[in-house]
Amino acid sequence: MSKSSSRPSLWETIHESAKHVLAINQRNLLYVYPHNPRRHFPLADNKLLTKEALIQLSVPVPVTHKVYRHFYELRKLEEDLSRLPEFVIKPARGKGGSGIIVISGRKGADWVGISGKLYTLHDLKKHISDIIFGVYSFGLNDEVMVESRVMQHEAMNAISPYGLADIRIITFRQQPIMAMTRIPTLASEGKANLHQGAVGVGINLKSGCTHHAIHQGDPVSKHPDNGKTLIGHSLPFWKRVLEITHLTAKSVPLGYLGVDIVLAPDGPKVLEINVRPGIEIQNANMEGMREILESHDTFLRRS
Amino acid sequence: MRRLWFFRTIFTLMVLTPLSLMAYKLLVLDYHLADLMPAVSYHVDISMQANGHGDDMVIRTYLPKSDTRQRISAEENSSGMFALSIQSDGNNRMGTWRAENISNQQTIRYSFSARISHVRYRIPKNMAIPRSYPPELEKYLIAEPGVQVDDPLVAKAIEGILPNKPLMVLDVLTRIHRYLQDQFKNKNFSGFTDALTALKLGEASCNGKGRLFVAMARKLGLPARLVGGLILQPGTKRVSHQWVEVYISGHWVPFDTINDHFAELPGNFLTLYYGDQVLFKHSRNINFQYLFKTAKRLVPKAAVKENIGTSPLNIMNIYTVFERIGIPQNLLKIILMIPLGALVTVIFRNVIGVETFGTFLPALIASAARDSGLLWGLIGFVFIIIATSLLRRALDWMQLLHSPKMAILLTCVVILMLCMTSFGVYAGLFELAHISLFPIAILAITAERFAILDAEEGFIEALKITGATLIVIAAAYVVMNSLFLQSMILAFPELLLITIALNMWLGKWIGIRVLEFFRFRRLILAQSA
Repeated sequence: MSKSSSRPSLWETIHESAKHVLAINQRNLLYVYPHNPRRHFPLADNKLLTKEALIQLSVPVPVTHKVYRHFYELRKLEEDLSRLPEFVIKPARGKGGSGIIVISGRKGADWVGISGKLYTLHDLKKHISDIIFGVYSFGLNDEVMVESRVMQHEAMNAISPYGLADIRIITFRQQPIMAMTRIPTLASEGKANLHQGAVGVGINLKSGCTHHAIHQGDPVSKHPDNGKTLIGHSLPFWKRVLEITHLTAKSVPLGYLGVDIVLAPDGPKVLEINVRPGIEIQNANMEGMREILESHDTFLRRS
Repeated sequence: MRRLWFFRTIFTLMVLTPLSLMAYKLLVLDYHLADLMPAVSYHVDISMQANGHGDDMVIRTYLPKSDTRQRISAEENSSGMFALSIQSDGNNRMGTWRAENISNQQTIRYSFSARISHVRYRIPKNMAIPRSYPPELEKYLIAEPGVQVDDPLVAKAIEGILPNKPLMVLDVLTRIHRYLQDQFKNKNFSGFTDALTALKLGEASCNGKGRLFVAMARKLGLPARLVGGLILQPGTKRVSHQWVEVYISGHWVPFDTINDHFAELPGNFLTLYYGDQVLFKHSRNINFQYLFKTAKRLVPKAAVKENIGTSPLNIMNIYTVFERIGIPQNLLKIILMIPLGALVTVIFRNVIGVETFGTFLPALIASAARDSGLLWGLIGFVFIIIATSLLRRALDWMQLLHSPKMAILLTCVVILMLCMTSFGVYAGLFELAHISLFPIAILAITAERFAILDAEEGFIEALKITGATLIVIAAAYVVMNSLFLQSMILAFPELLLITIALNMWLGKWIGIRVLEFFRFRRLILAQSA
């Protein structure tokens, strides 16, 4: 080609470099649609169904204490909840972590949320009926899960002192592709959601070491709230994390996944899986996913 | 492989079917592309203001009439306490607004659309001035106040420009026209000037020149009359215009010696009245003000409709189908353009990477904004969304379940729209009044999504998406209001299949969205370094 003789233009350079990036149209057309059959979406979108599938392969998940599907079941709500010292109320089909209430204890007749907010029995009843009515799942009827509260491993407390950090791993054909941990900030109000101001920290897949971080789209090396470094931390149980990720991917007929894991003191637990995982993980790792995905594709096709 | 083959076949069909149907219509059914191009239409808005002092008030003006040259449609009146009555007054149409015990400032708005053709007459060279006319034309040959036909000065002026020889119509009119056009200075004076004054001064405004033209023509035995109207140009003005018409073998032929139109009238001259009339008459001491606001629009030519409607072999004869069940052409046009609006939205979302409220919301709002205009459409949209989402916040306090809450939001949107429409009519903002055509349910859902975004990702984020939605609405509006595209789709509805083909192509497009280049800029730069 004659191109080699002349220096490539800026546009060519950009275009060539951009090929490493997995963009949203590519994610959908090349990975989500072909590898995640629509009929299996409910398996990922409904956390109860996900859990059922994961338990089959002994993937560790938070314990489900109670499931509410109908309003009449709420009559015994106080009795049910009083048995639990701490718990999490979750919509089975909630999106983006909305509709989740974490209760850490009691104060008189009320329940105390982790932010210190007090909930009366009426508040919780109302919240649960809202979930059943589909307020958090775009108008569909939903189910309510009352789960055990997952605590965070000490090592994670060091880098994530303002809330529960989760680990997001993208898998393709049951292989881990890229990983990051999402760390809540004061601005994100304890939520591990990058849009809401959580920090995304890229993790080296082999070593389990954090190596790059972004906050609000910009690279950072320190936690925006306490100034402690986010880079160079070795995450505990990393081998186990990869093993669980593989098992998770294996337990559902979905080829391209985002697996969300929490590191609890007794080991990693899978919280949920996502059939349309975001692509910001590339910025968190300062690395494109496209080539890694393609190499897995060709490797598997040959073998 | 089989799937790919199917895809390609469908894609090819979606492209080839409309193209061959188009070719068939153009080659066999005798469609003319030139007829499909849009025609100019003016939207004129006459606004009148008056201050009352507790007395009765009457305001009169001449309203335009449809005739062979101009077609008036979509007349609208917004006059508050005034009652409008329309009388026929000879050749003219007089609108009278009456109200009792009026105090304070009052506004009357009267608007209409006008499509006017450009006319030009050819007067045969050797046509002599007739000796007599039918009795009904007698009044156009005699003197009247301001038109001093029998004054010796007029006769003298005629002698000065006409040599003594048999008088030919063309020659006489050419000389009068050139005399007034070239020898008289145009004067920008809005008061009354009679023929004699104009002649003595050697300068005049339109009405002075017009009266002198009429006086000279009548003196020479040519029936002539003044015509009053507006020269339509986009914008606002207070100036009306007068020109003249001369009766020549069965036709009233126009002349304008201010703008040098000889036996010709451009397509932006709107006739309001015939004869030497005053445009506005009104009660005294009311500080009367008026303003003409004109907007230019493009509309499909009537020929398109006739052409398409009468084609016997036209399988896609949608006009007659829709007319039979009473759906007006405007609605049909809106329906047909929605796929194009959706295509614009798809391009913004999938190629540029802009996040909007809903896939079809921008197209629907853009089509609803057709009657309110883009600006008022956007203002109305933002107002409804933000007001409704604020109401939703208030509803949060009541802690209602989802479905009843949505029903309340829907009702709020309806009430807001009713208020805006009433306010629009009351304040004379017709554009705002047309907001009631907005898709109500979709606005309610959008308001709910705005509120959720506001709660979950912050007001700024919700505003950002609103802003992006506004941009996409504007783009969809521009495309959907393109007269060229409208005419094409009306004539060739099969082109909608092409939009399917384009969407099929966009649906398989795996390029990086424009905004993703920005989002991953560091990654891309790091790779290229």
